[in-house]
Amino acid sequence: MHDLIPLSLLAPGQLANVSQVMGRPDQVHRLEELGLRGGAAIEMVQTGSPCIIRLAGQKLCFRADELLRVLVRRGAVT
Amino acid sequence: MKSPTIARSTITVALIGNPNTGKSTLFTALAGVRQRVGNYPGVTVEKKLGSLHLSGQACQVVDLPGTYSLAPRSPDEMVAVDVLLGRRADVGPIDIVLSIVDASNLERNLYLVSQVLELGVPTVVALNMVDIARARGLAIDVERLSTQLNVPVVEVQANRHRGIAELKAALVAAISSNSAVPESPFPTEFQREVTHLQSALAPRMRDEESTCGGEAMPRYLVERLLLDTSGYLQSELLGNHHSPGEADVAAELKAARGRLAAAGSPVPAVEAQARYAWVAQVLKGVIARPAERVTTRSDRIDRILTNKFWGTLLFVLAMLLVFSSVFVAAEPAMKAIDAVIGKLGQAVGAAMSEGPLESLLVDGVIGGVGSVLVFLPQILMLFFFLAILEDCGYMARAAYLMDKLMVRVGLSGKSFIPLLSSFACAIPGVMATRVIENRRDRLTTILVAPLMSCSARLPVYTVLIGAFIPRRTFAGGLLQLQGVTLFTLYLLGIVTAALVALVLKKTLLRGPTPPFVMELPSYKWPSPSTVLYRMGERGWSFVRRAGTLILAVSVIVWAASYYPHNAEVVEENLGPERDALTARLVQLDTGAAERAGLEDQKADMDHAIAAAYQRQSILGRMGRTIEPAVRPLGWDWRIGCAVIASFPAREVVMGALGVIYNLGKGLDVGDQTDQDRLAARMHAARWDDSQALVYNIPVALSIMVFFALCAQCASTLVVIRRETNSWRWPAFTFIYMTALAYLGALVTYQVGMRLPPF
Repeated sequence: MHDLIPLSLLAPGQLANVSQVMGRPDQVHRLEELGLRGGAAIEMVQTGSPCIIRLAGQKLCFRADELLRVLVRRGAVT
Repeated sequence: MKSPTIARSTITVALIGNPNTGKSTLFTALAGVRQRVGNYPGVTVEKKLGSLHLSGQACQVVDLPGTYSLAPRSPDEMVAVDVLLGRRADVGPIDIVLSIVDASNLERNLYLVSQVLELGVPTVVALNMVDIARARGLAIDVERLSTQLNVPVVEVQANRHRGIAELKAALVAAISSNSAVPESPFPTEFQREVTHLQSALAPRMRDEESTCGGEAMPRYLVERLLLDTSGYLQSELLGNHHSPGEADVAAELKAARGRLAAAGSPVPAVEAQARYAWVAQVLKGVIARPAERVTTRSDRIDRILTNKFWGTLLFVLAMLLVFSSVFVAAEPAMKAIDAVIGKLGQAVGAAMSEGPLESLLVDGVIGGVGSVLVFLPQILMLFFFLAILEDCGYMARAAYLMDKLMVRVGLSGKSFIPLLSSFACAIPGVMATRVIENRRDRLTTILVAPLMSCSARLPVYTVLIGAFIPRRTFAGGLLQLQGVTLFTLYLLGIVTAALVALVLKKTLLRGPTPPFVMELPSYKWPSPSTVLYRMGERGWSFVRRAGTLILAVSVIVWAASYYPHNAEVVEENLGPERDALTARLVQLDTGAAERAGLEDQKADMDHAIAAAYQRQSILGRMGRTIEPAVRPLGWDWRIGCAVIASFPAREVVMGALGVIYNLGKGLDVGDQTDQDRLAARMHAARWDDSQALVYNIPVALSIMVFFALCAQCASTLVVIRRETNSWRWPAFTFIYMTALAYLGALVTYQVGMRLPPF
């Protein structure tokens, strides 16, 4: 069992599973529409703010802030 | 939804899909150049209609804006839903939905398809970018996908026009098909709440003269009402007024959401859960993925282009290349247009007798139209490059690289390119803001774009700097005072824009910052037809929209500088002298030695007469009226006049000064001798009352600061009006920029006069 960490702590090339997206419901909903939702397998491509992640074959550029955070579980993709 | 039992004369096809799926390319492949572009009233969404023939049947295609979801949270996003539900009278009912999906990312694309299918309109899916999917090692079973979706799926390659015939055949077949609304992906408790809410709303819809024309609210909208926690749809669909029924509905919604949360289907999360579960069902056995992720060419390119060091360096180089070629390559065309306009003016002037009509045509109409057309080469060039960068997928990378910088002024990376473009001209800059989805960011960008020093300000800067800023060097010749002044003026625009953006985002355009998420699409070769089409479309929309108003404004300014045209007063004083000169010239032989001198005298006399008329004109009087207001800036009435005349288009100012300082109308500021002549006249200019010299360094600086900050460009204001669909924003831009310009010029002059002489 791995600990939950914010997306920003992933190192480049690291794989993870999204556990939870926290923020205003409609903003979270928007991210879900793009596929960034609990259970999604991601890979950190480039760290920083904004960061680049790979998600289901697509690359997303993403800037999180205090109001919207993505929590992930480091490790293998299921 | 009613099934169309009567064959209508036109079939309407709505094209919808995620961004970056090749939707516009498919639209062009279907409709060719038969496209009409307009705006939906009241929103900033572009309305694109095209026509095509499906086995002899005339069809209309509506290209809807690219979107990841049909979940409206703003009026702009509502447009697509309204069109698809047939709620927009200007488009009419939709017969077929053509949904384009990206084969390399089916999961996310089918999320939108699942929403589309619920609308109950016959749907055809176009599967695009199969080549990219293949490059990633994905194999797709198209037949199986079609069966499991229960909708025809046609493989296309929009950029190569492949599969278009098959797609058209599928559309023809879909016209006569009956659409069965598929089983809802939502859990039963959610469906029950929707049914309940729909019947609760029914009496209300009957009472009101609603957009549905008394029919029950479409089930899809009821669903959205239940899902939308932002409150937008509630006020949009049910109105802001609190009618007796209003409280009931709000309470009803709240209770329904509470029940759903208790049942384990919280709103809005239930939608993503339900739809992705549906998508997983539909995709079962459809995609074969490679065991190891294939590193594509896009990935390899991205390693360099999004690298913090190399990526930024290449971005700067690319921008330098684009902008220098915009300036260099557009210049001959601009000169040519200028020359043709000039020749045309001369020809018309020669063919007609002198008088108001001739002056109106030459100075008002031809001059005014010319001042618009002269921007066209730059606009076309800039959009040519921007279209290439956009179509190949680089634009998203540029926005990524610049986000860090832009976030400091409350904007996102997407605002960078529009602002950069504004250094060439604010018009394409404002038009390029269409890539920014967030309305507040887009408005902020539009409102500060005109503060970037555009190319039309450069002549003002060069002439005044050349005339009044001493040629001094510092740091062993590395820094040159004139160059530093020019740089400072550009910097002034940038810093002011940053401050204004910050203030706007904290006041007028305050609101929650939406999460910044942007797709970085795979790289591809830009399609020449898309690039050329986009370039032509932008150019034409500029000419048409800006052309009409600029023409009107030019005519007004012309009238103000021509009338009342007191011939008696002017001719009485100066007429005899000119006539004497003309008479002596006629008597002289063509080769006579004195001739040259006399011709110069005659030209000076003509200019003096023109200047006398100008003083007499409404504009001249306005200049004198506002003199008390511009005196604190160090200006006399002549400068005031030139500034007023250049409000429609700032590049007019040098010509206006030329007339005011008796150099004639045809002053060419690009020409060194003309520049020197104007500079000499300005150095010699004196106040009417005290005979003190008008110009000194603080005055020149105050004029330049004014031009750097002022909104002196009617074309830009018209384009802002077009892009924001309201006169409010151009009015705001004009007022705040003019106020800033006045303040800036005032501070510059007053501080400048108190500093020790340079």
